This record gives sequence, structure tokens and C-alpha cells, in this order.
Amino acid sequence: MRVDQQPGYILHARPYRETSLLLEVFSRDHGRVGLVARGVRRERSRLPRGVLQPLQPLLFDWIARGELGALVAAEIASAPFALAGDLLFSAMYVNELVSRLCARNDAHPLAFAAYAQCLDRLAADEPAGWTLRRFERELLADLGYALLLDRDAADAALLPEQDYAYDPESGARTWTAGDGRMPRVSGAALLALGADRTPDAAQLAQLRRLMRSVIRHHLDGELNAWTWARPAAPPTSG
Amino acid sequence: MSSSPLLADLVEALRCLPGVGAKTAQRMAFHVLERDRAGARRLAERLAAAVERIGNCTRCRTFSEEPLCALCASSTRERSLLCVVETPVDQLAIEQATGYRGQYFVLLGRISPLDGLGPKELGLDLLAQRLAEGEVQELIVATNPTVEGEATAHMLAQLARAAGVRASRLAHGVPLGGELEFIDRGTLAHAFGGRQVL
Ligand SMILES: [Zn+2]
Repeated sequence: MRVDQQPGYILHARPYRETSLLLEVFSRDHGRVGLVARGVRRERSRLPRGVLQPLQPLLFDWIARGELGALVAAEIASAPFALAGDLLFSAMYVNELVSRLCARNDAHPLAFAAYAQCLDRLAADEPAGWTLRRFERELLADLGYALLLDRDAADAALLPEQDYAYDPESGARTWTAGDGRMPRVSGAALLALGADRTPDAAQLAQLRRLMRSVIRHHLDGELNAWTWARPAAPPTSG
Repeated sequence: MSSSPLLADLVEALRCLPGVGAKTAQRMAFHVLERDRAGARRLAERLAAAVERIGNCTRCRTFSEEPLCALCASSTRERSLLCVVETPVDQLAIEQATGYRGQYFVLLGRISPLDGLGPKELGLDLLAQRLAEGEVQELIVATNPTVEGEATAHMLAQLARAAGVRASRLAHGVPLGGELEFIDRGTLAHAFGGRQVL
């Protein structure tokens, strides 16, 4: 099967055989796909090595066969997302998250749109933490892991001033001292995330721990981007 | 393919070399057995010795048989300049192409969560220690102009700032002798973004 002019982004590129690259691409209609860019590491390559980079909106042509497709052409769709400094780490985190959570060849058009919006917001200097939480919410929802953000596990409306323990399988339930292992999060924070309303700093910190715990549950593992001890940031619990 | 299990093993083992597929590996194996057994024996010995004895310099992490590589041990290299590269090959390229007289630090990779490479794997604790010694005046960041290389450069700049060391970055953009019309658009965008005051 041949795919033409398919919008997508490179999540990751690694050397493959002597002169090729194996690209992990997040595409609009085919989800995450593995594409081999043959001979692209040669001095004179037909494929444009310089544009085969993450954060560069591209249009891909490829021939799909088996697990890996063969890249035929790639062209620039629009200017790259202009990210620098710490925002590069945010973008790498997003790329790792998509690579690890999305199965290959499974289309997730809503997550794809949310991905582009997330990079757009980062490039526009919107607060990175909130931008990432919004993307995580959309990605999880499109993968079938939507969080329950207006009602608790027993189907009662969430109360803003109530603290909850959030179980990734069943949702929020009133926090008790025995819930030490679960992330503790206020109803106000959950409601803000559900209504896409900017949370305050304390709520945002709770949501960060909440999302990390939910993602860890679905991955059944850790993301490498989490384990980097950042000199600027204090060590996080949960 | 053959009646010799050893031959099959050899072909399989040769395939660990970059660019060597099944066909090439088979040709190599038949070649050395038919025509160059002495050469093959020498290669086997050298490979074994290299794998056994080449480790990493304890100071700059480049390949070295001694705890300190020749460059780190040299008394004629400037100790105030430290150039950070991703790989020993990059180090070699700078050595051959420039008149650089300072020392190096080799990351053996670049920041990449999907490859499991973070600050610890790149030896940034060792680099921080080196900067804290106080000899280094300028950290020359020579990571590649890729997203991962840029993220690595940013992390190195933070490290330098924390140690009160000046950091500089290799210029990248339009190649010497290049004409704008023929340069790929990614390179051109990068060169444009990194334009300098005249
Ligand atoms: Zn050394």
C-alpha cells in the first residue's frame, strides 16, 4: 500500500543499517508508523536529511509493507515549531509519551491534533506544565483511557473542596488515610482539568502527580524523561 | 548453506559489523578461509585485544587503554578550554580539521529519552566535577545541530552557568562554498535563525 502526502511528525530517528535511518513517525491517518529512510545518511542522498527532524511538520510518502514502511519522500509542510531551552525537554517528553503509549499502525486523529496543538502552545510560550497536562488528558482520552473528571467512582458529582484519591481504573474516591499509595488531588483540580480551566499552582502540582501516576499505570513502567534529575527542579514525590 | 556449523557461526558473527548483511558476511567468511587465513588470525587477535584492553579515559571518557588518555595527560594542551563532543569520531574530526589546542569531554551520545540516554549516561556528573575544579574558563559546546543535540547543548549551558564558566556553541549554517538556492531548507532555516550581527 502506498501512502501519499501524509501529514506527520518525526518522534524519533535512529541509525539503521549502515546508511539508513529508522524513523518513528506520528502520522494523522495511520498513527505511529516505523519508516526506513534508506541511504539518507550518505553524503548525497535523495531524501532531505536536514528536514528529517522532530518538531518539523512534514508530508510523508511511503510504501507500507509489514512492520516497517519504506520512506519515498518527505517535504516540509510548514515552518518548524520554534522551541528552545527547557521547552526542548518538554517536546522530548511529549515524543516519548506518544511513542510509548501509542501502538504502531493505530490511527489516533484526535491525539494527533492535540499533539500539534501542544507543540503550538509550547512554541507560543504558554505555561508548559498546563500545556502538557492538557495534552496528556486528550491523548489518554483518544487511547480509550479517559479520566473521569466530573463525577467520582460512585457517580456522585465531584466537590471542589473535597480531597480525592484517584484510581486509574475506577476514578476518584474520597481520600482516606489508607490511600497513601494513590495520588491525592482536590476536587477543584480535577474539575479544572475536566473543564479545561487554568488551575492554580497548587492544583497544577497535584495534576502533575495525578497524570504521572495514571500514565505509569497504563505504561506499566516509567518514562525515561521522568528519571532525569533536573538541576533546576526539586525532586518530586509520586 | 554449508556443512560446517563453525562457518555458519562465523557468517552470523560478521553480521554485527555495520553495513554487513547476510550476503556480504558470507563473502567475507569465504574470502578469509580461501585466501587469507593469516590476515584473519591477525584480525581475530587485534579484535580480542582491542575489546579486552580499550576502555574509556577516566577524565574525558574517550577511548583509551590507559586510565588517562594521551590528550588528557598531555602538558601542552590548554586546560582552560574544554570542548564537549557527542562521540570520539566527532573529537577526531575536530582534531583533524581545526587548530584547537584545548581538551575534550566526550558524552558518548546525546540526550534522548527514547534511547534511554540522560544526564547520568552522558557523564554530566563527571563534567560538573571537572568544571568545579576551576581550571576551565570556556566550555565549547560542539554537539550536533539536531533537536537532541540542541537539548544537550542547553543542558551543558546550564551546567556551565551553575559553575560560572563561559559557554560557547559552534556556529552552524550555510556551508562554505554553498549557494542558498541549493541548500536544503532545514539547513537554511537554521542558518537564518542563527544569523549574526555584521
Ligand atoms: Zn581523556
